[in-house]
Amino acid sequence: MASTGAVAALQAALAAENAAIFGYGVAGAHLTGSSQAAAEQDWTAHNQARDALAAMISARGAVPAAAQAYYQLPFRVHDAPSAIRLAAYLEDGVTRAYLGLVAVSDQRLRRFGAMAMQDAAQRAASWRGSTQAFPGLTPLVLLTLLAP
Amino acid sequence: MLLASAAALPLLLGAAGCRSSDVFTGPDPLAGRPPLGHDVLTLQAVITAEENMIDLYQLAISGDPGTARARTLRSLLAQHQQHLVQLKARLIVPPGASASPSPSSASPSPRASTVSITRLRAAERASAADLVRRLATAPPALAQLLASIAASDATHATALGG
Repeated sequence: MASTGAVAALQAALAAENAAIFGYGVAGAHLTGSSQAAAEQDWTAHNQARDALAAMISARGAVPAAAQAYYQLPFRVHDAPSAIRLAAYLEDGVTRAYLGLVAVSDQRLRRFGAMAMQDAAQRAASWRGSTQAFPGLTPLVLLTLLAP
Repeated sequence: MLLASAAALPLLLGAAGCRSSDVFTGPDPLAGRPPLGHDVLTLQAVITAEENMIDLYQLAISGDPGTARARTLRSLLAQHQQHLVQLKARLIVPPGASASPSPSSASPSPRASTVSITRLRAAERASAADLVRRLATAPPALAQLLASIAASDATHATALGG
């Protein structure tokens, strides 16, 4: 993938991080105790990732895309269980977004994307209470990867 | 046109002072197999590592099959078996080459009683690190699959208490 592809993949990861930051703000409001502390910790991690991605995009001469004022949530969040489901959903989305970076030609970006996938998959597993065989990949994507 | 060309070949060879037996001397380019591509070699190595991981889990489970620990291990084992299916589905080797990689001889086969959670956790961590290391030279689609499996292995290590 050319450098324009790398910037596009970085922007996609940045967009996912911005969505996660917004989503954790909603989820955290419905959590208490250790769950709320975990949400705050994850919110901080996503803020740090956002800043890192923005710096990487700027270093490549592009402008980091701004966060939206509001993000449509995938379902209504009104209590702790739905907040926890939202947190897992957000992490799944972030994991998927970093998958794009793993496909670029820049080896350092590949590694960065892979490690970010591991972080997000760990957080998703923690919220969900179970692991997945293919974090970031859907059954459809798996079939596509099998195509020659 | 092809027939005419073939019929003319002895004449051309004769004009050049060659006998037909001289034409194919030296290495026969059709006899050997092409070297395996780097992505095939990567897949073979990763498949071997995944098979070793599955063996390790099966040994650990066989040590105490009825426990809660075994139930946890079975769910992780099932995900490793899914990894293996996806990896093997991507492996295409030239005719005549061995489709299955040779088993790893890096470490002796452990006995059930020696496969501890600590050992499984270390194996998961090592696998995740090895897969990330292999990303550098893998084609994009394979790199994405390896990165996803690495992420899965990292969550396994945490699920095992790491």
